[in-house]
Amino acid sequence: TSKMEEEDEEMEGGELCYESAGALRWKEGLQQKASEAFLRQQRAAPNLRKLVYGTVAEDDGNGEEDEEELGGLFRVSRPEKGKKHRADGVDCSRFDPDAAHNWDLEEMLDSIRDCFVTGKWEDDQD
Amino acid sequence: MSLGLTYDGCNFFRQRLVLSTLSGKRVKIRNIRSKDDNPGLRDFEASFIRLLDKVTNGTRIEINQTGTVLFYQPGLLYGGVVEHECNTQRSVGYYLEALLMLAPFMKNPLKAVLKGVTNDPTDPSVDKLKYTSIPVMKKFGIDGEGLELKVVRRGMAPGGGGEVLFTCPVRKTLRPVQLSEPGKIKRIRGIAYSVRVSPQMANRIVDSARSILNKFIPDIYIYTDHMKGDKSGKSPGFGLTLVAETLNGTFLSAEQVSTPQGQGDPVLPEDLGRNCAKLLLEEIYRGGCIDSANQSLALVYMTLGQQDVSKALLGHLSPYTIEFLRHMRDFFQMMFKIETQKPSEDERKGGDKVLMTCVGAGYTNISKSIK
Repeated sequence: TSKMEEEDEEMEGGELCYESAGALRWKEGLQQKASEAFLRQQRAAPNLRKLVYGTVAEDDGNGEEDEEELGGLFRVSRPEKGKKHRADGVDCSRFDPDAAHNWDLEEMLDSIRDCFVTGKWEDDQD
Repeated sequence: MSLGLTYDGCNFFRQRLVLSTLSGKRVKIRNIRSKDDNPGLRDFEASFIRLLDKVTNGTRIEINQTGTVLFYQPGLLYGGVVEHECNTQRSVGYYLEALLMLAPFMKNPLKAVLKGVTNDPTDPSVDKLKYTSIPVMKKFGIDGEGLELKVVRRGMAPGGGGEVLFTCPVRKTLRPVQLSEPGKIKRIRGIAYSVRVSPQMANRIVDSARSILNKFIPDIYIYTDHMKGDKSGKSPGFGLTLVAETLNGTFLSAEQVSTPQGQGDPVLPEDLGRNCAKLLLEEIYRGGCIDSANQSLALVYMTLGQQDVSKALLGHLSPYTIEFLRHMRDFFQMMFKIETQKPSEDERKGGDKVLMTCVGAGYTNISKSIK
């Protein structure tokens, strides 16, 4: 039915005077535009809640299953570097800076200018 | 007694024990460095458990012979006067971070004297916690004369020999917060400290840090602190803690400390000052109403607040905070609403921000003594 409606709108636009036909073109495919914009936003802003609380699939702590046995007596212990590193990592709250940020660059310095009272103020707060 | 939780590995050790203590849920931690050449708990972890034992009453702790399995059944948060020799493998900040979370919920106001390393490159220093955590606590209604964090003696890594006093009042309930507007930075303060080296070091740090920060704001004052004699600890060293204060009372901080004696290349005070100033810019870029080192502290207070909506705007969530959120879900069934806020095109206010919203669990400190 949405197609029908779109067509109706076009028709109506056509029936109106010449100038307004162009003015009404923005209404074309509104639904599609909206859904595209929505998807674009979804992609740009990752769902943090999912990232934080989503299924934490990493705790496959049953690595023992793949352990080979030598002569049915010894087990080959191969600590998986990545995983063990996390479980036995250093308990520290330090948040290392983003290595990509070079604070010698003028553009980097510019990116935080308005955080200071000396920077630009919003119109409603001047 | 409620069901216990089980974890593997020694990472996030403090989070687990602190949340266990606050929630009353017992916890079992297995496979602690079980594949390490030197398996089991380290001395600093044992020291941390002893500290928890001192501030609580009736805590049951069982450790197996190799130290790879820990069972912890929390007792009542008792508080009172506590003196603790903090193992020098980690600085006092490691122990303090946990105490800050526990202190308001104790039966008696806590007065803790912690001895050990006050400044090292791993953990937040006592100076940083003083400048940033105390203001966060005040926002939740934990304030008054009883709230104090003081470096009595400075002790640099690795030798230590420092002493810290932390006193904190108790609260029946915590106030919900609405921290959504960080405000603009009005001034920058800091402390450049040096012990057992020339006091000139601190001045050299100040000059180099100022040279960078002056591009942004004129109101900068960095104190120099040179403790002498029995107040200077056992190891030489110097460092800088910077803090940016906004109009709305947000404190963003960064710090940098000299390489501990015998642990690598020495660092020049000029380089240290400049690097620290850049770290502060990075912290300002992250922004938000809570310093990145205090994200977990604010979130735990929000969780344990009254049954009311609390909001806090944070900068990027640190990996430690993300893990803390997961642990809070385990212990308190608390899940935050997490929304990303992107700055608009023409705004020059650093990176993306994250708005955290939750309804407090309505936690009441029933053990608080009534006077």
